[in-house]
Amino acid sequence: MTMPDRIDITWIALIGLALATIVLPPLMPRAMLGNAVLLALAVIKGRRIALDFMDLRAAPALWRGLVSAWILIVLLLAWLTSAVVPLI
Amino acid sequence: MSTAECEQQGTGWGILEDLPGDPMIWVLIFSELAAFGLFLGAFSVARAIHPAVFAAGQAALDSNLAGLNTIVLVTSGWAAARATKAVRAGERQVARYWLLGGMALGGLFIAIKLAEYAEEIGRGVGLETSPFFTLYFLLTGFHLLHVGLGVVILAVVCRRARILGVETATAFWHMVDLVWIVMFPILYLVQ
Repeated sequence: MTMPDRIDITWIALIGLALATIVLPPLMPRAMLGNAVLLALAVIKGRRIALDFMDLRAAPALWRGLVSAWILIVLLLAWLTSAVVPLI
Repeated sequence: MSTAECEQQGTGWGILEDLPGDPMIWVLIFSELAAFGLFLGAFSVARAIHPAVFAAGQAALDSNLAGLNTIVLVTSGWAAARATKAVRAGERQVARYWLLGGMALGGLFIAIKLAEYAEEIGRGVGLETSPFFTLYFLLTGFHLLHVGLGVVILAVVCRRARILGVETATAFWHMVDLVWIVMFPILYLVQ
């Protein structure tokens, strides 16, 4: 029996995370915590695409770091701006 | 240093040579990520300024249809990654089948998104309805344009199915996939 390829495992993980993103919102308190969970799922999905589909796992750390930083900054900004609203 | 000496040291792209595909596609990919990043940042800041307008706009969207499109696009990305693996193994015909699968799913993404637009426009929603919808249509429209362009690039490299071409086209395709993965929760889910 052959071992499943990393690409296939990533695809299955992405489908699972995408389904969680669709199913979870009605079940969660939609405050800071709910937003944090949904955005954290997006960070995990984005990293898997960058590392395994874009092939950055084998690329120099600079490129891996740049794309990971892009994912983190854009999603963290979305969380921070949503978290700030109830405080205004 | 002579031209011959320069050529012996590589193609002249420096550290970009260590990335899959043509280095020029990575210049484009990083430019696109910067543009989408700024655009999504502007959306997040605008939401903080107009929370009620953005909440009302988001409530009018169909997040289940967008969630379905997420599954379609990541599956398309998987097919593209499979094509790259196949062409590296010398299996060009197999790579073509995977590329065709990726293109078909890209076409399905476009069809679903256009159906979503049609439903929204049918309800009287447009670019000028609110700041939310202005940014929503511009962001998703700009992304949809990239999906269309990505399908064309995949089609261009599919015929010959050479390693450099397939790696270059699929790198662009994965960028389109990555942008949607980040865009989906920001536009449709974060409150």
